[in-house]
Order: sequence, then C-alpha cells, then structure tokens
Amino acid sequence: MNPRLRLALALAALAGGLVNLALLLRTGHGRPEPLAFLLLVIVGVSWSFVGAGLVAWSRRPANRTGALMVAVGLAFSLNGLRLVGTPLGFALWFLVATLPAAVLAHLIAVFPDGRATTRLQRVFIAVNYATTVPLALVQLLLVEPARLGCGGCPDGLLGIGGRRPYGEAVLAVSGLIEVGLAVLLLWILVTRWRRASGPRRRSLAPVALVGMVLLVLYLIQEALLVVVSRPAPFDVGFDLAILTLLMLWPLGFLAGLARARLDRSAVGDLAVELGEPLPPGRLEQALARALHDPTLQLAYWLPDRHAFVDAAGRPVELPTAGGDRAVTVLRHDGDPVAALLHDAALEDDPALVRAVAATARMTIENERLQAEVRAQLEEVRASRARIVEFGDAERRRVERNLHDGAQQRLVNLSLALGIARSQVGTASEEEIALALDEAAAELRHTLAELRELARGIHPVILSEAGLGPALASLAERSPIPVTVTAAPPDRLPPRVEETAYYVACEALANAAKHAHATAVTINARQHDGRLLVEVGDDGVGGADPNGSGLRGLADRVAAVDGHLHTDSPAGQGTRITAELPCES
Amino acid sequence: MRVVIADDAALFREGLGRVLEAAGVHVTGQVGDAEQLLARVRADPPDAVVVDIRMPPTHTREGLDAARRIRAEHPQVGVLVLSQYVEPHHAMQLLEDGASGVGYLLKDRVANVGEMVDAVRRVAGGGSVIDPEVVAQLLGRRRARNPVQELSLREREVLALMAEGRSNQAICQRLFLSPKTVEGHVRSIFTRLDLAATPDDHRRVLAVLAFLRA
Repeated sequence: MNPRLRLALALAALAGGLVNLALLLRTGHGRPEPLAFLLLVIVGVSWSFVGAGLVAWSRRPANRTGALMVAVGLAFSLNGLRLVGTPLGFALWFLVATLPAAVLAHLIAVFPDGRATTRLQRVFIAVNYATTVPLALVQLLLVEPARLGCGGCPDGLLGIGGRRPYGEAVLAVSGLIEVGLAVLLLWILVTRWRRASGPRRRSLAPVALVGMVLLVLYLIQEALLVVVSRPAPFDVGFDLAILTLLMLWPLGFLAGLARARLDRSAVGDLAVELGEPLPPGRLEQALARALHDPTLQLAYWLPDRHAFVDAAGRPVELPTAGGDRAVTVLRHDGDPVAALLHDAALEDDPALVRAVAATARMTIENERLQAEVRAQLEEVRASRARIVEFGDAERRRVERNLHDGAQQRLVNLSLALGIARSQVGTASEEEIALALDEAAAELRHTLAELRELARGIHPVILSEAGLGPALASLAERSPIPVTVTAAPPDRLPPRVEETAYYVACEALANAAKHAHATAVTINARQHDGRLLVEVGDDGVGGADPNGSGLRGLADRVAAVDGHLHTDSPAGQGTRITAELPCES
Repeated sequence: MRVVIADDAALFREGLGRVLEAAGVHVTGQVGDAEQLLARVRADPPDAVVVDIRMPPTHTREGLDAARRIRAEHPQVGVLVLSQYVEPHHAMQLLEDGASGVGYLLKDRVANVGEMVDAVRRVAGGGSVIDPEVVAQLLGRRRARNPVQELSLREREVLALMAEGRSNQAICQRLFLSPKTVEGHVRSIFTRLDLAATPDDHRRVLAVLAFLRA
C-alpha cells in the first residue's frame, strides 16, 4: 500500500472526526443529550474502523477487506451532517445516512476474502447499495419530515409540501426492505460459518460472531418498533449498544491479526519439534498443527514417476485451482520437492505457509527420500506380483493351447492310425492308403500348430540372429503392414534384445487388436548407451497405459531398468517408446 | 548320388537315411554335429549334405554355419538345410554367398519322400531350393503398397515358383505351360516389379526373394 495514500486516508478520517466534534461542541447544549453522546461514539467507530482498516490493508494489500474497513470508517464520519442544524443539512445527511450501514454490510458479507465468491453474495451487495440513496430520496420526497426525525424542519423540504398520502406506506416498505436485507446477510453469515473449515473459522470468528450479534440486535430493534410505538430512550439504548459493538468490532479484527502473529510462534514450536528425530509419518501431523489445518496432507515428489506420492508411496492427486483445497509446492532449484495440500483458507496467509514449509524443508527432504524408497519398494512388490501372475497366466494359456490343439490332434492321429491298422487284411490297399493320408494330414497340422506355439513362447530367430532379423520376421508375419525403419546392426545383451522384441510384439498386437491401425512403424536405434524402441501406429489411440498389456510391458521394461512411455491421444494414433539401458 | 546326413537326433537321421537309400541315394555318412560333418566332408566330399539347422552344442544355428562353410570350402558339394521353423532370414543368409547348390526346407517335408529326394538332387546338381512356406510367407506379407497385388493370378504362381528356386523348365512342367508362355510371364513380372532381368536362375531367386523381403 502506498504510504502517501495511507497518510491521506488517515488524515481524512481524523479531519472528518474533528469536524464532527467541532459541530458537536458548537451545537452541543441545544441538542438532546443521548444524540450528542451517540455522535461521540460514532466518531470513535469511524476512527476505529479507519485505523484497523489501514493496518489490515498494509498487511494484506491484495485483500480488499482493509480498504472496505477504511470505507466504513469514512462513511460513518458523514453522520456529522446531522449536526449542521439546517433543513438542507438534514436532507443531505438523510440521503447518505444508510451508507455506513451499507458499506458495513458489504464488508461483513465478503469477509475474510474481501470479494464476493457466490452469486448470493453478489446479489446481496447489489441490492444493498441500490437501496441506500435512492430509497432515502423517495422517503424525503414522499414522507413528512417530522416522521423522518426532523422535528424543526419545515414542510416542503425539497420543494414538495402539503399532504403526503403515501408517506406511511413508503416507510413500511422501506422498513421491510431493510429487515429483508438484514435477514439475508444473517443467512449468508450463518451458512458460511457452517460450511467453513477449521482454519477458515479461525479467521472468520472475530468478525462473523460480532456481525451475527449486531444483526440480531438490529432485528430485535425493528421487531420492537412494529410491536410498540417508538419509545425514544429505548431506541437510543439499542443504538448505543450497536455502536459500542461496532467500535469494538475492528479491535476484534486486529485481535484476529494478532492471532495470525501468534501462529508465527507456532513456526518456532515446529522448528523445536523437528529438532528431534520424528517417527515416520509424524511430520504431516506437526505441519497440520503449525498451520491449524487438521486436513493438511503432505505429498512428496518422485522425479522418476513425475508424480506426487504420500508417505506410504501411494499416488496423490493435486487439487485443481478454485476448490476448497489448495496446494503449496515446495521447490529446490526450481524442481519440485514436495507439496502441501491444505485448506484454501490458508491461501490468505501464504507467508505463514511458506514459513512453515521453509522450517520443515530438511525434514521434508528426508521424508521425501524415504517416501521415494518406499514407493520403489511398493512398485517392485506390485510388479513382482504382476510378473508372477503374468507367468502363471501364460503357462495356463500354453497348457490350454497344447490341450485343445496338439494333444487333441495327436489323439485323432492315433485314432486314424488305429483305423488304418484294423483295415490291414480286410480293406483294399487304396482304402488303407487313404486312411494313412488322413493321418499324415493330421500330423502336418499338428506340426504347424506346435511351430506357432513354440514361436509364441520364444522366437528362436531372436536369440539366433538378433533383434534386427527378429523384428523383420515379426514384420513379415504381421496382419497389418509394418515398416521397420531402423534396427541395431550389432548384437546386444540378450535381456535387452528380448525386452525390445516384446515391446515391439505387444505394441504390434495392440495396434492390430485394439487400435484398428492400418500401418505400423518400428524404429529401434542405439543412442547414448541406450536402446530406443519406438512403435507408432495410425490407429484410434486412447490406449490405457494401465491396461494389463501395457502394464505388463512396463514391468518388463522396468526389470531391465528401462522406461516405457505411452503417448496415445484419442484419434491420433499410438506411440509406444521404450528406453532401455544397454552398455555395448 | 552320394549324401551325408547331419542331425543330432539319431532316430531321424536313420529314418531319413533309409528313405533316401530306398530312393536310390547312397548315404555315405550320418553324423550328430557340425564338427563331425565338416570332418566327414573334408575327408570324403559327397555330392550333397542334408543338415539340421539346430545341433549341439548351442542348438541354435550350427547347421546353417556349417552349411555356409561347406559351400565356401567345397563349392561342388550341395547343401540342404532343414529347419523346424520357417525363417526367410535363414534362407537369405544361405543365399547371400551364392544361390547355387543351396536349399532351405522345412523339416516336415521328409514326410513327402518324392519332394525330399527331388530337393536333394536339385542342390546336388547346383540348383537352389527354397521352401514353399518361406515363399508363401513373403508373398502373404501385408504392405501399404503392394506391387505383387497388381500381378495376375498366373503371374503370381510363376513368381512363387521362381522364388522357390525353380528353373523355367521346371515351371513349364509344373504349370503345364509352354516355355514361350513362361518366358513371357517372367518378362512381364520383372517389368511390373521393376526388377533387372537376369538370365541366371540363381541370381533370379536372390533378386525375387530380396524384392519380396524389402
């Protein structure tokens, strides 16, 4: 906040108050005592709001709460107009008399964000301002001055005199509008309080509770006005109570700020707590305590996986902007280290969150490393289980193929031979030859099936001739056109060759089975001590990297310390890339 | 005709030996691995060897390597390599050093004695033999642009027989066509596939297979 602006606003508030006091002294003894006393309190309210508002404005320049508080204070100093003592002065005062209450209602409605976030809030603020000066103008025109509280004012204050038949109706409608607005504001406050989380209530409390009391007092006053006729001392008593609360209300806000400063002492407590070695997982609790947010979650960044995980190594989704949850990412040299997932209310005080995070940085870094190790362990366990499962499934598949295929055919063959044998001596030579031909045909099919099965278990060409010939062979058998654009000319370590081959195999199977591709390109090249295998197709895309096929492939690739990337935007083909370390 | 058989499965060796002997082929030796095969060929070169591709010690491609060495050391000895699998790659490797006197057949073919004996005779006579399965696989390959699809049915039959290593004369007999007609088909195929015409049958096999593998 600009210091000059701050000084100007402070001086304006001071001047406004002093003018009011001067007016009070000048007309003091001619006025009824209670009113004079009320005006004294109003000067107090004005200064209190402007002072507290300027403090809030400096502390949180981005939040409009401070500016609104200053506006409330300045609006209150307009009340001095009532003391000018002329009918014109009264009319001017009457026009702006509801402005302080309107700005105050605006402030209460949007605290502590400083801006309207819901539609209800926006509607309330609009109606609230629309009914201030215009409504007062209507009242001035249509209601007799005496009924408005100006006993000495002449009739025809603004040029209109005589009977005003709608006067009482206008007053009744105006009263209803004011009461309606008060009820609406109370409703806004209560619902926000009920929905607020722990840290949000902390900042809401000093304002919302006083605001609720004020509104209830106001509504009681209005209700009494309807029931009984206007007893002046009663009225003044209520006004006094409300104004006194108003004068204290900014102090409550300052107290809230002081509480925030107390929170900074929690940072110190945290530093002490972190001095001792923490049991695993306790860091999150300590941070939650320091930030007064029991829902706080700590997530660690895993560079390998490009993902955040919790202390147990499970993946954590970051909240999206604009929700109830917010995220503060801790970085080291620009790289993410960890993330604090917290209530969005804490975003009001980013400095506090940063201070807590900075204090805990070393411990967080430590826990991150531990989380990384646990995540790797978790991943290894899961992939080990998947690999075993995959192996079992594969054995079952082979058994089923043997049982339904080759074994069945051999049974048929044995039957055909049995028939041929039984025909010896009884049937003609041609008949026996026919039976033997059938047996031979059955045998040919059996051999062909066994060949396919054996190739599926392990392609001999791969171990015999290497990756290049194996990929060429794969391309020759593929049901969709495949182009091998590059293959390493030399032999590579067997595990690398096999992994690369299965990447191509699985990607090709996916392209044919799921992607409905019409062309596939395989590119395998060595670069920088790694073998890069890229398989791209022109199919429908949308392949799921967590589907069983690709998951199994990723496990296979991870087993040789490689990485598998799947790029498969819907409708734009699939590109599967494996990066395999190979020293050769 | 004198033949040496190399296969580590004694039962198969002897069975094949009996089949060949019955067809009038003189089996001069049966061995169980590549080293013994080379030793036997060096000591007494036969007209042809029939060798299994997988033999001890590694059971991968010993037979193939032995066959290539025999071709290099004894150009007059034909080699017929048998394999349980159909691998165009193997066929190409054999043909690389010259297509004459080499053959690559699926092991199943022993079931057809006539075919088997014919293949041994062809390699012994300096011809080339490529298993129809290899050719079928290459011809059946899917490609984005496939000039083979533009050939007529008859031309495709002729192309397949050329790829199997058949001479024009053999193609005539197979398809019951006159030599002139076959020559016409061959010319047409070479033009349509944009291949350089070659009068040599062996180079022709190589050219056709290389084209189909590309």
